[in-house]
Amino acid sequence: MNPRTEKRRHGRYAWAELGDRLILTLVLAGIALFILYPIVSVVATSFFKDGHFTLEYYRELASGRSLKLIRNSLWVSSLSSILTTAAAFFIALAAYAAPGRIRRFLRRSLLFTMISPPFVSALAYIFLFGRRGLITHQLLGLSVNPYGWHGIVILQMIGSISFASLMLLPSFDHMDQRLVLASRDLGASPEKTLFSVILLLVRPGILSVLFTLFTMNLADFGTPIVIGGNFKVLATEAYTQVISTANLGRASAISILMVPAAAVAFYFYYQSLKKNESAGGTDRNAMDGEPAYTLTGAVAGAAWTVTGMFFLVMALKYGNIFLSAFSNTASGSLTFTLDYFGKLPRSQWNSFGHSLVYSAVAAAVSAFLGILLSYYTHRRKIAGMRTAEFFALLPYIIPGTFFGLGYVAAFSHPPMYIRGTSAIIILNLVFRQISLTNKSANAMFSGIDRKIEDAARDLGASRLEVLFGVILPLLKTTFATGFISIFTSCMTSVGAIIFLISPGKNVASAELFQSIENGRYGVASVQAVLIILVTVGINMAFMSLTKRRERGGK
Amino acid sequence: MKKKLMAAGLAAAVLGASLTGCQSKPAETTAAETTAAETTKAETEASSEAETTKAETEAAEKPYEGTTLNVMLAYGGAEAAFDAFTEKTGIKVEYVEISTGKALAQLQAENGNTTADIWFGGGVDSYISATDLGYLEQYVSPEAEAINPAYSDADGYWTGLALVPAGFLVNNDVLAEKNLEAPKTWEDLADPKYKGEIIMASPAISGTQYAILNGTIQAYGEEKGWEVWKGINENVDFYAQGGGEPGPKCAAGEFGIAVLAMTGGTFAMEAEYPVTAVYPEDMIPWTPAPIAIFKNSQNKDAAKVFVDYFLSKEGQEALREADARIMARGDVAIPEAIGTVDTEKLIDQDVLLFGSQREALLEKWAAMVGEKDAK
Repeated sequence: MNPRTEKRRHGRYAWAELGDRLILTLVLAGIALFILYPIVSVVATSFFKDGHFTLEYYRELASGRSLKLIRNSLWVSSLSSILTTAAAFFIALAAYAAPGRIRRFLRRSLLFTMISPPFVSALAYIFLFGRRGLITHQLLGLSVNPYGWHGIVILQMIGSISFASLMLLPSFDHMDQRLVLASRDLGASPEKTLFSVILLLVRPGILSVLFTLFTMNLADFGTPIVIGGNFKVLATEAYTQVISTANLGRASAISILMVPAAAVAFYFYYQSLKKNESAGGTDRNAMDGEPAYTLTGAVAGAAWTVTGMFFLVMALKYGNIFLSAFSNTASGSLTFTLDYFGKLPRSQWNSFGHSLVYSAVAAAVSAFLGILLSYYTHRRKIAGMRTAEFFALLPYIIPGTFFGLGYVAAFSHPPMYIRGTSAIIILNLVFRQISLTNKSANAMFSGIDRKIEDAARDLGASRLEVLFGVILPLLKTTFATGFISIFTSCMTSVGAIIFLISPGKNVASAELFQSIENGRYGVASVQAVLIILVTVGINMAFMSLTKRRERGGK
Repeated sequence: MKKKLMAAGLAAAVLGASLTGCQSKPAETTAAETTAAETTKAETEASSEAETTKAETEAAEKPYEGTTLNVMLAYGGAEAAFDAFTEKTGIKVEYVEISTGKALAQLQAENGNTTADIWFGGGVDSYISATDLGYLEQYVSPEAEAINPAYSDADGYWTGLALVPAGFLVNNDVLAEKNLEAPKTWEDLADPKYKGEIIMASPAISGTQYAILNGTIQAYGEEKGWEVWKGINENVDFYAQGGGEPGPKCAAGEFGIAVLAMTGGTFAMEAEYPVTAVYPEDMIPWTPAPIAIFKNSQNKDAAKVFVDYFLSKEGQEALREADARIMARGDVAIPEAIGTVDTEKLIDQDVLLFGSQREALLEKWAAMVGEKDAK
């Protein structure tokens, strides 16, 4: 008889097995209740009109105009995702291979530049490069039209490049450094090593980033609305349908058009994950201390050029927002002012408190759930989990406002009446972001040798012991980066929750959005600066905390 | 001490009311119960009879003290007037700013099952839709007598708070640079010389812009109206996705001319930017900014107090102070902050047509503008 089956009869294992099931059930129930149910509730509106089943909304979609929207969406999303991923590759490379102090500085800068409230980039872009832009018009005497698909691509790049670089960075850190060293020792040039060894090693990471960006950009309606001019995409169409004609049915049908494109991208992503797993890999030879690759020659040139441009753009962007918060930027003259502080909405500080609490709770829960989801899907390979994982991704694919309306539709009546509570906002934030940690955990799992778990099991560890004693400690950094990026994103994003906030339950990012909507750009700048400062502060506190713990652990 | 006495008085008033056979809703019962507990405490603490009497009179004036009203707000700057209301009535006001189009979408998604009590300001067309969908409570305020019936719903589902006139904002630098004069009339906007210089919101999204379109077409008549708008459309590159956008874009010099609501905020830009706000000489489109109570409100009596206050002379003046507009009451003067409005030029329009014509009008609009605007 197999000694392992004998052991399993032991009570401890039975309890662990039960606990394991319970966790799995909770994860699945969460996905069903807080992702599927709201989406089904709002999708149902596309099939019913005045209480009768109809395909009218879908018939309306089969027009030339919709085809054009699909083409526009695919074009912009592909282009900006590919360009962002390419740029992020070089920035991540620099942040991996640069010498000690610069490396730490780069990594920190990437984290901080993730902190970008909505429309900050857009305001800076129009202010600097618009028809009357400080640089294009005042300095160069040009009158450039910033509106159109190129504006969308530029702003989506600026908006997601820090995120993409950070998401890619672990792939560099965790690649087998011996392979890089071997390549160099055998006389390969830095270029050759980069393209033949490193590129292959980080490919799953690249594809994962590319895929994530594609779905994010596809669902992004904020950027095209601000800068698209008369260039329309699916996400803006769905959004304007809702807010202009309150036509939920049509908006719902349009949003469904986005799912197939995202599903195809998802398929390719899985293929790449699978390939990587069969190739195997161990974390044992991950970077510890200094990187195995040093930047020289043309590679160094490319990496530093891209990184330098990135810093220039970020300096312009943040410089502009701080400037607009303290000055009246009437054409031609800049005068210092503190007026905008006095004009802050009176609920500003309450909203800030809500933002902090909601974001922290949501980030912790979401990061944890994302890792668990990845574990059950890719480590345990439980049947049907891939479908669950795909569902968990849906909130990312569909436009944020649409997911928000789903919550309104699902939770405004019994049995789950939670409208007007803090819970509905937190739950929405949790499940909207769940695929973020899920994906970085997937990338990590594909780099961790399965033998570690097998060994633990053979040595008599129960399922729960493997999960909490082996898996989770290995993913500590994934959790930490997941937590802080979800926290940051909750603090700064606005999409879905615009419909969920209620009087007395407002959040800071929504207040900022309302100021922008009302054309109070000065006040909006102050609000953006406040959000940036607070979020940077929390990020720094979090960083020094994790650092101290690392030191203490050594 | 004073607070406790007021609570005592309030409790007495509420208890008295329920004893005399007033209908009491669940929310009020709980309020009465909690305050009743405080009553006993406060009563023992009450030192003199005189103070108690004083508290009672205060309570009579503030029967809803401690109630909180939730407001969906689409009336920039109005929140400054809520404090005066709270001081007078003891009713707390929480609000969330949300444009009326979004509010309507939210109401539809939750099937009217809202947690808000009051809808304050914004586009009248959304109020008309909400009335049709049965989301609003019928209430004719006694104060509504002083308000021109043309500004309100005939059945009392919503009442006009203020009038929002529309006009132009021009950037003097940009126009000087391009050797252009400021437009004076709506037909001027259709002049090809302004090509690419005009920014305005999509009428499908902005209530003000919708009112401009509907009002001018009512005034010109179908044929002439659409002809003018066809010409204007030729000059517009793209339509902004909200009524707040054209003003700042014009102020920043991105466009020479903005079509927008003429509020105190619009005129305030004159002090900061090289812009001038201009009322059209031929006619001034306008829309009422309404107020309504939601049918689902759990605090309808307090909500009525709120509506009465903001339709009263006192409330209207407080509101005008918070954000300068033409108030709905005839006995409240037009604020100086919004320039000199020739009220004779305000379009003589049927506001109810805003609702009934909306779908057809916007469809025609979408067909005309094509790619420039979202349908």
